[in-house]
Amino acid sequence: MKKVGVIRFPGTNCDRDVFDWVSGHNQKPEFLWHLDQFHSTDYEMIVLPGGFSYGDYLRSGALAARSPVMKSVREFAELGRPVLGICNGFQILCEAELLPGALVKNEHQKFIDEWAGLQIENPHSHFGARYESGNRLRLPIAHGDGRFYAPAKELKKIEDQGLVWLRYQNNPNGSLNNIAGVMNQQKNVVGLMPHPERASHFWMGGIDGKDFL
Amino acid sequence: MMSKEEILNKNLKHYRLSQIEYHKICELLKREPRPIEWPLFSALWSEHCSYKSSRLHLKKFGQTLDETVLNAVGENAGVVDLGRGERIVFKMESHNHPSFIEPFQGAATGVGGILRDIFTMGARPIALANYLCFGELQSNRMKELIQGVVSGISSYGNCVGVPTVTGQTEFSSSYNQNILVNAMAVGLLREGEPVALSQAQGVGNDVVYIGAKTGKDGVHGAAMASASFDESSGQKNKPNVQIGDPYFEKLLIESCLEVIQKNLVVAIQDMGAAGLTSSSFEMSSKGQLGLDLHLDLVPVRDSSLTPEDILLSESQERMLLICEPAKFLEIENIFSKWGLDAVRIGKVRKEKTLRLFWHQEILTELDPDLLVENAPLYDRPFEKWTSPRKVKELSLVQNIQITEWVKNYLGSLVGGSRKPIYRQYDQRVGLRTCRDAGFDVAVLRLPDSGRGLMIATGCRPSIMKIDARLGALDAVFYPALQMAVKGGKAMAITDCLNFASPEKIEIMSEFVASVEAITQASLALKAPVISGNVSFYNETQGQGITSTPATGVVGLCESLENLPMDTFQNADESIFSLRFQTVTTSGKWGELRQENPQYMGEFKIDEAAAFIDEVRKLAKTKNVTSSQTVGQGGLAVALAKMSLQGMGCVIEEKLSPDRLVREYFYEVLFVVKDANEFLKAVPEKMKVHYLGSTCPGVFKLPGEEEISTKELNQIYQNAFQEVFHVP
Repeated sequence: MKKVGVIRFPGTNCDRDVFDWVSGHNQKPEFLWHLDQFHSTDYEMIVLPGGFSYGDYLRSGALAARSPVMKSVREFAELGRPVLGICNGFQILCEAELLPGALVKNEHQKFIDEWAGLQIENPHSHFGARYESGNRLRLPIAHGDGRFYAPAKELKKIEDQGLVWLRYQNNPNGSLNNIAGVMNQQKNVVGLMPHPERASHFWMGGIDGKDFL
Repeated sequence: MMSKEEILNKNLKHYRLSQIEYHKICELLKREPRPIEWPLFSALWSEHCSYKSSRLHLKKFGQTLDETVLNAVGENAGVVDLGRGERIVFKMESHNHPSFIEPFQGAATGVGGILRDIFTMGARPIALANYLCFGELQSNRMKELIQGVVSGISSYGNCVGVPTVTGQTEFSSSYNQNILVNAMAVGLLREGEPVALSQAQGVGNDVVYIGAKTGKDGVHGAAMASASFDESSGQKNKPNVQIGDPYFEKLLIESCLEVIQKNLVVAIQDMGAAGLTSSSFEMSSKGQLGLDLHLDLVPVRDSSLTPEDILLSESQERMLLICEPAKFLEIENIFSKWGLDAVRIGKVRKEKTLRLFWHQEILTELDPDLLVENAPLYDRPFEKWTSPRKVKELSLVQNIQITEWVKNYLGSLVGGSRKPIYRQYDQRVGLRTCRDAGFDVAVLRLPDSGRGLMIATGCRPSIMKIDARLGALDAVFYPALQMAVKGGKAMAITDCLNFASPEKIEIMSEFVASVEAITQASLALKAPVISGNVSFYNETQGQGITSTPATGVVGLCESLENLPMDTFQNADESIFSLRFQTVTTSGKWGELRQENPQYMGEFKIDEAAAFIDEVRKLAKTKNVTSSQTVGQGGLAVALAKMSLQGMGCVIEEKLSPDRLVREYFYEVLFVVKDANEFLKAVPEKMKVHYLGSTCPGVFKLPGEEEISTKELNQIYQNAFQEVFHVP
């Protein structure tokens, strides 16, 4: 069974959800606390769940990106092993500069929770592998700081190098180029604002997130 | 120099106690109160803490309790046994006064407070709901109040990681100067998880202070919430409002649940209204054991805090816990892992008195029952309810353009979409949400049994204006009907009784009538009242709110398969109305036209309960694709609301304007694939009418112009544009 490290910071609140989601895929989740360090060989995959790490003080994800456990995550990522960041996890990966760009306050300044239509731009080999370029799907979003931003030059680089993973069909937060998820150049680290774990059973209203792991 | 009498009067005013109460205190103490005792009596004898005007009547709820309710006495809420190892705890509480003064913090700390009431019992909070009443948009500060309250709820609930799954937002001029902010939380105990209690036990055990440090915020908050507003209240009372930190609360939830589930705790109580005072005196009184408390050991934010400040502070995110001394180290380690303080501040003692120390010196020694058990109890004057606005016949509604009325109604704050509010709430964290706040009734999936937990709030102020008894019955029956129409059964009830001054006979009469009505409805539906809260003095300069006994109802449906939708789904399906007509009201239609609020007929409680049972059985048949209760705005509005998602309807049955806009208690709509099969399933005694069929894209009433469902939806979605800009 694949061992998956699920990172918990104080204030993470989707940790148990992601734990259950991982278990449901016949993989073995294990919580990692923000003060923990681990060996890259201990896990086959790392997931950073959503929430409000350290209360989102300073900036979303800023404090978490500088925590002890992130040193190990960085080593893990540098070996080309798969890392997924969801919502606040995405923000943390951007703050840690493991992913390009930044996530800033929604354009309308308010938190938003709704089902969002998305399109796969560049499919990814580790996560959501069954989807192909152009596929459309629906996943719930829930964030206050979800507007993807990068300076023009960097944005062009992100586009040119094909680092855009997912785009919104109807931009809910003012994200540049409708970007909802990106990957790093090595394509082993990915992040997205929508919550695939919240669309993993029919009773939730959709199952498009089921096959993301 | 002030005379003795002047000093006494000054104290009475400052501590909001009456002359009679002062004499009672002297009698109980057999002496004058000491300076440190004044604030204790002020807080615990406040209306907010002592329920002195309502206790006598709230006893009636006791008769609704049955064998499904565990630990009902003396705790924040009864625990409802749902069978199969699943138990739930829930409660609703008001935060009206602080929210009017400072809407963001007032609403946020309302959410924080009600969550602590739930997890202090060992239950993991799984859902939040809220019941909000605002005034007219053009009234002073109203836009700011709405925006502040919604972002307060949003910022706290989202961060703490508990989904806000349903709610109700009402608008009426009666709330122009006193808004209502009632928050509800639901907690789940899974098989084998212990219920934590709050009574002090075990002589020699440690008393431990947990959580955030104590500051000056919220000092005298309980007394403030027990008074009406005058002209200067807004500014003057700002320091009485507490400041919340949802991040701290999240840490507190996880750490408290951890120590409770590891059975390390003897007793635990949140520090809510009147902070350390109420938690310590209540724990001591319930356990009939004394406590020694060293106030100088309480972690404080600034060293200038006096013992009085420490006793009365309502700083948020704090708990008081009692444990065996041998277990303290393990408890301290768990809290420290979560970055929280756990500090021993005292001991449980055999003699039933609380001794408050300040640097080794005894400030006072008091029997907790003097303040808790002996709190004043008032039998305020009231009159038997006589339904003054009941008439023989309502005037007939004639010659109106119904479709125009529907458009106006759906485009107004009263009838428009609440999406601009609830989209600011995380509705899905926790992975249990099956139907979110966009639906009439929230449905959560219970993780072990796979059954559906339903949550709905109740109380329609328009009906309270027509008749207090009718409105309070409806506050229970209507959410129960909303559940039934989706195949669920109401299991238990909480209430939050918002009223003006109980010292006015007409208000007290409405209060008593409401409590009696809720009790009767609860008995008829076999859904016990397991918790509740009373908020009096919702009035400003003598102008009171419409009496508003809000309810939170939690129900159960056995399966999540085939839950009927709220809106029309497929073309060419048959629409049926089922009616149980005992009462007809002037309704929203009448209210918006400034008609006299009136009703005719007699509400038959047992028949209403039987109707709800039949509706539930019908809702479970696979033939039903969608269903709705006919609510405010009457039948025309209900049909229009079912048409908002693109599938519309053509109504063939000729219906009078009266039939389309008046509100009947009760009526439900079922949309079915097979009309004959449905008619066969309907019991003979029920009045069933075929209305028409579903049709893509249009909404058409007989004899009226059709309107596109798209236009209808646009009108509906834009109703809040002036308050919240929707991109």
